[in-house]
Amino acid sequence: MVKTQISKIQLFMLLLGFLFGSTVIMTPTVGAKNDGWLAILVGGAAGILLMGVYSAIALLNPSKTLVDILMERLGKVAGNILAVLYIWYFIHLASLVFRDFGEFICTVTFPETPMIVVIGLFAVVLLYAVNSGIEVLGRLSELLVPIIPIVIFIIGLSLISVHDFTAFLPILENGITPVLKAALSFLTFPFGETVAFLMVFPHLNKKEKLKKVVFLSAGIIILAGTVIFFRDISVLGSDLMARATFIPHLTSLLIPGLNVEPLVDINLLIGGGIKISVCIYAASKALCQIVGIDDYRTMTGAITTFCVVLSIWVHESTLDLFSWSEKVWPYYSIPFQIVIPLLLLLLSLRRSKSSNKKEKSLKG
Amino acid sequence: MNNIMIIVLAVFAVLIVYDLQKFIKKKVTAKVYVLYVCFMAASLTISLLLAAGRRPSPPSRWIEAIFKMIGVLE
Repeated sequence: MVKTQISKIQLFMLLLGFLFGSTVIMTPTVGAKNDGWLAILVGGAAGILLMGVYSAIALLNPSKTLVDILMERLGKVAGNILAVLYIWYFIHLASLVFRDFGEFICTVTFPETPMIVVIGLFAVVLLYAVNSGIEVLGRLSELLVPIIPIVIFIIGLSLISVHDFTAFLPILENGITPVLKAALSFLTFPFGETVAFLMVFPHLNKKEKLKKVVFLSAGIIILAGTVIFFRDISVLGSDLMARATFIPHLTSLLIPGLNVEPLVDINLLIGGGIKISVCIYAASKALCQIVGIDDYRTMTGAITTFCVVLSIWVHESTLDLFSWSEKVWPYYSIPFQIVIPLLLLLLSLRRSKSSNKKEKSLKG
Repeated sequence: MNNIMIIVLAVFAVLIVYDLQKFIKKKVTAKVYVLYVCFMAASLTISLLLAAGRRPSPPSRWIEAIFKMIGVLE
């Protein structure tokens, strides 16, 4: 039974913060070069459908978390195995976002500070937020997430004098394949990662608003992604964009007579912080549900420590992190983000149809 | 044992003492202790190996190797 509840606005802000996440410094559609906007639209459309699948699963299984749904639909053994795999996935995702944050801060803002110190201090703050509960995370995102679009707007507006509005042309210069590959990257990062919200959706106080909240947040991310892409490509050009490590940061450096670099840090701090918090919350809660522990807070400390260590261990360098995220992550995510949720949706639909039939026959 | 390893041990000691205090106050079940020890032992082992400059093969490489083995990646 879920006691704690969050409002639709809090869930909307949590979703927005999660989707912005590390997308504010890393551009998943960079592989499509000047057709990145097409990849954003194609990947975004698929992302909306995927998030629709997650919300449909949540609505067909009201007040049930991902672990409950897995156990109920797939049985205890298969359900437990998949739940453990999902816990690993959430921990891995949190550690990757930690690493993105650490790489960015240590490359751009504090080059002399060891990465483990940056990540460790960030982890302490996030652990406090996660231990405060999902309502606090919701209220925190309500307060902080509106800053992200404001920063995007400020940077975009400041660069209005240095734009080349034809930089995205010609369209489909390299064919459709790079666009589709980049669209898959954009689908799995960030849309598919919202599978972690199957542990949060049961906390929504008005379940009937879930689909609206999910679609609206996905729509805003697509819009923001397109705006950011056109801003970056019209300022940097496709060649420089393909070579840059942190594209939005490089764009922010080009504003004449104004230093807005810390605003990009703030964006990452907010978006990345919410994403990591939701992942740690989801992993702790799932673990506690599997082994039958009442309070998820007992495991957050250990899981956060493991995430921090994993974030340092998992990749040797920035290039390794970027190359792995581009080449392996989309395929690695497919079972967790697409295959298993689709299977759960089919099983949930079958179950609801058969229970409807039973109800009708009882009435008849 | 180098300085970094000593710092790692000190940080883990602080974390474990802080969490154990809470566990004793809350009177948690044995399951919590077992899981906690598993996670912290894994974290400490990896941290000490990293501090000693002996980086074990990371999970990202295992995942990549699996995908190469089944032909998803070239």
